[in-house]
Amino acid sequence: MKQQFEIPVGAQHISLLEPLHFKLTTENETIVDADANLYYVHRGIENACTTKFKYRQVPLVVGRVCGLCSVSHGTAASQVIEKLTKVEIPLRAKYLRMLVIELDRIHSHLLCLAHVAENSGFEALFMQTMRDREYAMELLESVCGNRVQYDYSIVGGVNRDLKPEVAKDIKTKLALLLPKVKDLHEVFENNWTLSLKNKGIGAISKEMVMKLNAVGPLARAAGLAVDVRNETEDLLPWKELGFEMITDIAGDVYARNMVRIRELYVSFRIIDNILNGLPEGPIIEISKALPEGEALIRVEAPRGELMHYARGNKSNILERLKIKAPTFSNVGAMVEIFKGNQYASAAAIIASYDPCLSCTAR
Amino acid sequence: MKAFMTALGNLFKKPATVCYPFEPTYKPTDYRGLIEHIPELCIWCRRCEIDCLSGAIVFSQDLEGQQTFHYNPYVCIYCGECVAVCPKEGSILQLAENAAPAVKAQNVNNQWAITVDEAVESRKLYMAAKKKATELKKAEDLKKAAEQQQAPPPPPATAAE
Repeated sequence: MKQQFEIPVGAQHISLLEPLHFKLTTENETIVDADANLYYVHRGIENACTTKFKYRQVPLVVGRVCGLCSVSHGTAASQVIEKLTKVEIPLRAKYLRMLVIELDRIHSHLLCLAHVAENSGFEALFMQTMRDREYAMELLESVCGNRVQYDYSIVGGVNRDLKPEVAKDIKTKLALLLPKVKDLHEVFENNWTLSLKNKGIGAISKEMVMKLNAVGPLARAAGLAVDVRNETEDLLPWKELGFEMITDIAGDVYARNMVRIRELYVSFRIIDNILNGLPEGPIIEISKALPEGEALIRVEAPRGELMHYARGNKSNILERLKIKAPTFSNVGAMVEIFKGNQYASAAAIIASYDPCLSCTAR
Repeated sequence: MKAFMTALGNLFKKPATVCYPFEPTYKPTDYRGLIEHIPELCIWCRRCEIDCLSGAIVFSQDLEGQQTFHYNPYVCIYCGECVAVCPKEGSILQLAENAAPAVKAQNVNNQWAITVDEAVESRKLYMAAKKKATELKKAEDLKKAAEQQQAPPPPPATAAE
């Protein structure tokens, strides 16, 4: 038996964006086993939501769990409390929530692709992609008032209305962004060092993905057609606004990055349909009922399925709030993906996994 | 090939960085900025203080009952909850300006903790003083009523013929 070494891709690493830790057992540079350790940034948000903050403030607090998928957490928390207080939100509020969720998905996927480029050595492409992502950030700032912590979804609807000049601004800036995304797609399809050499690296089969319950672009790239937007038609009308499921067959690093690029096109189309068909009406429905019972809501964050569970006991403060992040569901698949690959591909594999530790270790 | 031409073109374009703070950054019209309070319209219900998520608003009260609004822009998270829960339209607003960067002489963190403690203490003192005043008044009223009972009742006034 060859000698085994344990090498950490540690909590602090030159190519990592997030503080996660994998201890890789290697034999002659081939990884044979992996061990994950994720809880570096625990802040106690679930406890704070059940002791210090009232139920109306919870969507705003929970939006600060993550900086990349802030609106997904806020929307999920608002929806779960609306289910506990039995409130129906107006249609215009639903469309506006979907608009911000899709804008959020655009900026998050562009960040992941830029990070993939940086890891492969393409620093100039990283900076150009981040500059193109600025269009999405400026749009989010015009719509929500802030670049990162949007505070857009509240219990009963949304916080601000969409003005017509902001809608026009969205259309112009996204028309400027679409050719840049097409250029990026071309680079990703034709460049050897960036993506073509990763075909076959970090592969996982559809049966393993189904067995390990992976979610998000990681599962869709392996052929498993699972997307929460396909399954929650009652809360937000995704399918009638042009949602399409994007899957791939190979399940390797190349397939995951391509799935993210193709999801960007779907997002552009959904935003176009939302702006063309935005209904008139109120944006919020206020109700004085107190939360009672228990409820469970799933939302498609950019990284996969996000689950919120809440329990109320007819008082101003929730009894229990539980959040399950998509990165947490994918850890089992990640440990499986590492086996059999070279240690030098660890950076590319982690970049295509697109972890978000702020959500996982709240 | 296209990437090479883009790279060559980028040699001659100006950089994409914004030299903040010498140049202004992009700011939309309803950017979430500082909170402003208008004392003339306020009804002093203190709902903004109760609902503030980060504890950036506190009201102090002097012994006559007049309240003062204190706000810390460096603890505020600019969520806009205070504006949303205010029952009186226009007495608390969110402007589109940023807070100026704090300097050490302002002592923002420790001084704010002291301000909050003093404000809560001043409200307690006012409530204690008010309670004492009402008790004194009650005692005086009881004394007056007892004195009236002791003295003979005055003759009834005759109507003018």
